[in-house]
Amino acid sequence: MRLLALSVLLFTAPVFAAEIQVTDAQGKPLAQAMVTRTPVEVPAADLSDDGYAPHGVTNVSAVTVTRFTDAEGKADIIAEGKFSYRVRAQGYQDAWFNEAPESVALAPMNQTQLYASYPSNVWLSQVDFDGDEALKHTFQLNCAFCHQQASPFMRNERTIDQWVSIMERMNTYGARLPEDDIEPVSKILQREYRELREHPERVPAPRKWEAHLSEVEMTEWPIGDGFSQMHDFLLHPNGMVYVGDNLFDRIYEIDTETGEYTVYKVPHYEDAELGGILGNRFTVFPKMYNYMGVHSFAYSKKDGNIFITPSMQQALLEFDVEKKEFIIHDMPGGYYPHTIRTDDQDRVWFTLALSSQVAMFDRSTGEFTLYDLPARGFREWMVLKSLPLIFSIDPENRPTPSPNRESTGLPMPYGIDVAPDGSVWVARLYANDLAHIDPDSGEITMIDFPYEGPRRLRADADGNIWVVAFQNGLLVKYDPREKAFTRYELPVINELPYALNVDRDRGVVWVNGNQSDTILGFDIATESWKVYPMPRQRFFTRDIEISEEDGAIYTSNSHFPTWQSEGATPTLLRITPLEE
Amino acid sequence: MRQILLLCASLCAASAAAQDWQHYGGDPGGRHYSAAQQITRENVAQLQVAWVHRSGDSEKLPAWMENTSAQATPILLPAAAGESLVYCTPFNRIIALDPGTGAQRWSHDPGIKLEGERPFRCRGVTYHEELRVDAGAPCRHRLFTNTHDRRLLAVDALTGEACADFGDNGQVTLHGHGQPADMISNSSAPLAASGLVITGSTVVDFHYARAPRGTVQAYDSLSGELRWQFDPLEGHAGSGGANVWAPMSVDESLGLVYLPTSAPSPDYYGVNRPGTNRYANSVVALDLASGAVRWHFQHVRHDLWDYDTPAQPILFDWNKHGDSVPALAQPTKQGFVFVLDRRTGESLWEITEQPVPPSQVPGEIASPTQPKPIAPPQLLDSFLMPQQAWGLTPWDRGDCARQLDELDNLGLFTPLSEKLTLMLPGSLGGANWGGGAILGQSGVLILNVNTAPFTGRLIPADNRSGARDARDHPTAGQRMRVPMQGTPYDVEVGTLVSPLGIPCSPPPWGKLVAVDLVRGSILWEQPLGSIHELGPFPLPFHINWGTPNLGGGIATAGGLFFIGATMDRQFRAFDTESGEVLWRHTLPMDAAATPMTYIYQGRQYVVVNAGGHAMFDRPQGDYLYAFALDSQ
Repeated sequence: MRLLALSVLLFTAPVFAAEIQVTDAQGKPLAQAMVTRTPVEVPAADLSDDGYAPHGVTNVSAVTVTRFTDAEGKADIIAEGKFSYRVRAQGYQDAWFNEAPESVALAPMNQTQLYASYPSNVWLSQVDFDGDEALKHTFQLNCAFCHQQASPFMRNERTIDQWVSIMERMNTYGARLPEDDIEPVSKILQREYRELREHPERVPAPRKWEAHLSEVEMTEWPIGDGFSQMHDFLLHPNGMVYVGDNLFDRIYEIDTETGEYTVYKVPHYEDAELGGILGNRFTVFPKMYNYMGVHSFAYSKKDGNIFITPSMQQALLEFDVEKKEFIIHDMPGGYYPHTIRTDDQDRVWFTLALSSQVAMFDRSTGEFTLYDLPARGFREWMVLKSLPLIFSIDPENRPTPSPNRESTGLPMPYGIDVAPDGSVWVARLYANDLAHIDPDSGEITMIDFPYEGPRRLRADADGNIWVVAFQNGLLVKYDPREKAFTRYELPVINELPYALNVDRDRGVVWVNGNQSDTILGFDIATESWKVYPMPRQRFFTRDIEISEEDGAIYTSNSHFPTWQSEGATPTLLRITPLEE
Repeated sequence: MRQILLLCASLCAASAAAQDWQHYGGDPGGRHYSAAQQITRENVAQLQVAWVHRSGDSEKLPAWMENTSAQATPILLPAAAGESLVYCTPFNRIIALDPGTGAQRWSHDPGIKLEGERPFRCRGVTYHEELRVDAGAPCRHRLFTNTHDRRLLAVDALTGEACADFGDNGQVTLHGHGQPADMISNSSAPLAASGLVITGSTVVDFHYARAPRGTVQAYDSLSGELRWQFDPLEGHAGSGGANVWAPMSVDESLGLVYLPTSAPSPDYYGVNRPGTNRYANSVVALDLASGAVRWHFQHVRHDLWDYDTPAQPILFDWNKHGDSVPALAQPTKQGFVFVLDRRTGESLWEITEQPVPPSQVPGEIASPTQPKPIAPPQLLDSFLMPQQAWGLTPWDRGDCARQLDELDNLGLFTPLSEKLTLMLPGSLGGANWGGGAILGQSGVLILNVNTAPFTGRLIPADNRSGARDARDHPTAGQRMRVPMQGTPYDVEVGTLVSPLGIPCSPPPWGKLVAVDLVRGSILWEQPLGSIHELGPFPLPFHINWGTPNLGGGIATAGGLFFIGATMDRQFRAFDTESGEVLWRHTLPMDAAATPMTYIYQGRQYVVVNAGGHAMFDRPQGDYLYAFALDSQ
């Protein structure tokens, strides 16, 4: 199969490159026009396992490449072979070509098209919830962690009853919008979206695409299908990228050099049920295979084995990258294994989002240690202590506490990282605090986070902790030495950042966008931003990996449901700096 | 004074024209509106039966009656054409009545072939003054109708005699003539304009990958010679259908005829017809003179749901910000109303591309997006979650929740698969052929909508167990399995009901909706229909939870909206402003037809065909009811 794949690539790989010239209708060169090259023919693939590659089978992805025009309106992207080309530029109508054009003159959008082309974040910025900031934050926290809000199909006119129906449905899928907020939010969305449609001139223009874009190349590997959700992933030292399909218990091992990907199906116990111990929230979905719920990835610096959090089980997964075998490590307790990292002592650290704990798996002993993070009050303590009893009840009959704005009973430890000094840092999404764990003493220190929605965090080379504040749309730095927080406004309005990563070598914080179809790069030294537009619309990202070698970054399109993103197929995306 | 006279003349002319009902939809643009205002909100409570006419079909063809649907909307002929009220029966008999008494003046029986499973129906006849015929000569005023067995007839409006100068002694055979009516037939009236008479067809649903083509044909209204024809599926050899079974509209000033095209065949499987199937599920505007496509607007791409364009395109003036745009409103089964500039086909509301779930059927490439107007809103909620299951008792509610829990359900445009899938709306709609009524110049549309859920699935054709059905639509409360010949599957569809036979969704199961097409919002909604006759025994009181409905309504300048359509034998008048029911009358049968109104000899009549509908599994009959206020 590998030979076959190589031959396909050789046939279609660019043996020469040529430039495309993009201008406006008057012939003036257009800089920062996005040009995407897509193979016309998708390589044949074995997708015989319910639409997916069977375990161990290798297929080849139809790799797309995107570049941006320079100041002269030129992009070096034309390749030999059968490719289609798409040319986009802000304020201009998209153009498609089934054969490589030498030059493209883009027609300007009319005013309606222009407003319609704006990404979700600028529209969402003008939905002000009657000035009730707290309600807007509650809405964003619960309704924007899966998909973009204020996108064109969200802005469609709906009746209040239809909005209520949507919110109630989303709460069955996992959102936790408080019942008391459902009707007010429905009324506001019905009214304010209408007002915006009637006055689109109030919507600010999105950030302009900038000159640095012509210095990068974006490569995408489509994998899975419209029902998949490619959540987190890992750039492994062996050069492969491992992507987890959260809904179908599969990991995709992608060779970015060849475009080949091999699928490994995560095993589960025979008596496991769909949805695992959490129960299946997606009974109405046409297909679902999440007995384990592949979530987050980290590798052992010792042997390269990959550790994966299976959110739906009380377990930790290990993937032997040499033998291509999975090992299930059963845990003694804890619920919802979430984000995972490893340290230099070959210990595996991960958050337990439901039980408000942090787990440490010591590979040398094979033992788990669970660290209880403190409850915010007696009621929350009661809820957390009742979890074993609650989870002993069949999922269909399990009582579920009504959500409130404080998410009582669910402080939700979320992001985690190991700082250069070996200490462990955790963010609790709903509790708005950080936890510091001294791995030697086991001492836990809680630190109030002065903003809302700390999702994922990372430590930089100096030991500073960088956190995204989801509802506030902020990047926040915590200096543990000074015990001081510094906030940084994002360069795009009303973005709701899900995660970040730090390029410790280059001093860059990379922030996931999801409402603005962007990835954001923050230079720590200069405190300046670079914004990178995504090559597809409704590109929702949740994770970033960084290539130590060249500073390339990887992310995945993790919109849920995937079919709502442009192209309807998840992709792994790499942004690579072009050589001078 | 001259200006006043001109104004008066203009108003009087408009008023006189508006008080007629010379076209199936009230006017060539299907507005379902009358300027008649003798019957008003204030006096409608006094509305009484003026006369009752029976066609005699029940007596002459009793064995065939259970397979009929009385769907006719009569038209009132102008004085020069005899001023008769003319309609057709399900067996394509054309009958002319005295508008004041209902007494029969003449009838014409084309003697159709009586065979097959397809329900007999005839929605109307078309009047045309043929200016190439001398005044006073036979067939200067002629009526056209097309028959169950694919003939286009021309008869003299004054006598009912066949027009000898048209085709073969008053008839031409239409595309597909000679094939069984189960394969291709007719339901809606032809359209006459600019010396042409234009016909669509009904084509078998579900059963065949290659159903008969949905070719639209235009004939010379004098001679019956074929002038042009249009095949919406040209280039798709492996498919058929995309026919025009709903009424067409015409704007002679623009020289455009508007075709509401249906789904290509087969309805629930599209591997044999890759791509968008661009003229299917569309409004296609053809050049009236040549039949050339001037524009088209497709509201479902690569249909996998039987979302035909079900209703007559409604032509009206869209007045906004001081501009008046010649517009077209198209209600759809999926519950949207698309508002287009009828000169160009451009939507007057932004069209958003709604991402939709992919198909799981091997080889099926469903469209990744479907068009949705940013306003007005969808007229029904197309999601139904287990938590929303409804039942009379905890037992049947629980059963519905269980059923819903086991269904695939990703909302509108979820393709069928081998798993049972929610179809909401199902092929009944949303909107259907009853269309809607525009309130004068207001841009407000009132229309009836179905909301009851259906389910469906594909069954591999090699699985031969289970009975197959020769029908092409399930009757109320039943499931139907039909082979889709030429595909690897059978399809099974039916209503989603509890063990008590009650829809699993909360009522109403049919409703009336007033939509402001200019503001893009819903003004009011009301349940349409009572379920008091749908249980094991009729109840003496109404339970207004809405019923499935077929047939449409009409609006009048008297502030009223008249509609039957329901499964409770009621004919109702609603207040157009509030949606309140102001009057109702119990008919002997369900009125699954669109009413009409006219003023004759100073008295306003409202007429409706009451004869039931084969699909509703309710009694059939042959009644035409006229209502009026007491004589002045």
